Amino acid sequence: MSLPFSNNINSLNTAINVWNNCTIADDRSQILTWLSPLEPRLQHQDIQNRRVENVGEWLLQTEEFKRWYAGNQGVEHDNAVLFCYGNPGVGKTYIR
Amino acid sequence: MQSCFAMEIQGSERPILGNKDEPRGIQGKGQALTSCDVSSLVVDSLCDQARGQNAAVACFYFDFAAQKEQSLTSMLGSLLKQVVSGQREMPEEISKAYEDQKKVIGGRGPQLPDIVKMLQTSSSEKPTFICIDALDECAAEYQVKLLDSLHQILQKSPNVRIFVTGRPHIQAEIVKRLSGRATAITITPRRGDVIRYLRARLIEDTTPDAMDGSLEAAILKKIPQDISEMYVAATTLRKLPQAIH
Repeated sequence: MSLPFSNNINSLNTAINVWNNCTIADDRSQILTWLSPLEPRLQHQDIQNRRVENVGEWLLQTEEFKRWYAGNQGVEHDNAVLFCYGNPGVGKTYIR
Repeated sequence: MQSCFAMEIQGSERPILGNKDEPRGIQGKGQALTSCDVSSLVVDSLCDQARGQNAAVACFYFDFAAQKEQSLTSMLGSLLKQVVSGQREMPEEISKAYEDQKKVIGGRGPQLPDIVKMLQTSSSEKPTFICIDALDECAAEYQVKLLDSLHQILQKSPNVRIFVTGRPHIQAEIVKRLSGRATAITITPRRGDVIRYLRARLIEDTTPDAMDGSLEAAILKKIPQDISEMYVAATTLRKLPQAIH
């Protein structure tokens, strides 16, 4: 008699766990959508697919980029922002 | 400069070279190097490196054509969404804000000061990289507010690093709003970029019969050369006044 009963309890517990996980996952996705309806991830994928491989790779090798990436290990630093700009004219630092 | 380059490679999307008044296409094949190419390359490289380091990467691509949807709260909200979506548990601060806002006017959206505060908290726990493409395409009324919000985030979380692309005219505003914490770097397609780009486009040629080895070789030689010459001309022009003095 006790065996089927405990089996029932077990399956009930499993069902409750599944239910709880579902509600948590549901809440989570609701909260994420609430934070913003925008999906830059999709935009990123689209651009990534059209990008020609290795074009612009040199940027990752520049001292400016490396310094920015390395940061200052948790201490406030002057290179927290890296601004990359296209320059159509003359008068500013141009090609090296 | 821009027009010469665009003439060779037409139908460009968001060229990083060019002045602010120039119209930009929304869809189409790109130039050898556009700002979103650079941004997405950086994002991918950061994502690859973040894997082993428990770092967060968030990106945002501004677009003139989508200014209406890209409000300041939805933009910053999407950065926050990306930062927390990698975490196993939703930070309580965010769940609580959500529950609180759900109770009023049938569900109010997140409020700007709250988003900034939540971004400060979430980004101070781990290295966080924020990449923003084409900041100059952000609606003018939000630009200053966005930079101020980013400044507030930087002040609270030393773990945050921000990568921004845009046209040169916004540099002054960036420097001013972020209290000189920005390094600037010029992006121009290098010779290798142009060759790689041309090769990729030649492979996609829809009339391959019109192409032969010598024409292909001539294209790969002539266009990168012309572009290099334009740079040399620009550099020389820039140096001229110094030479005269």
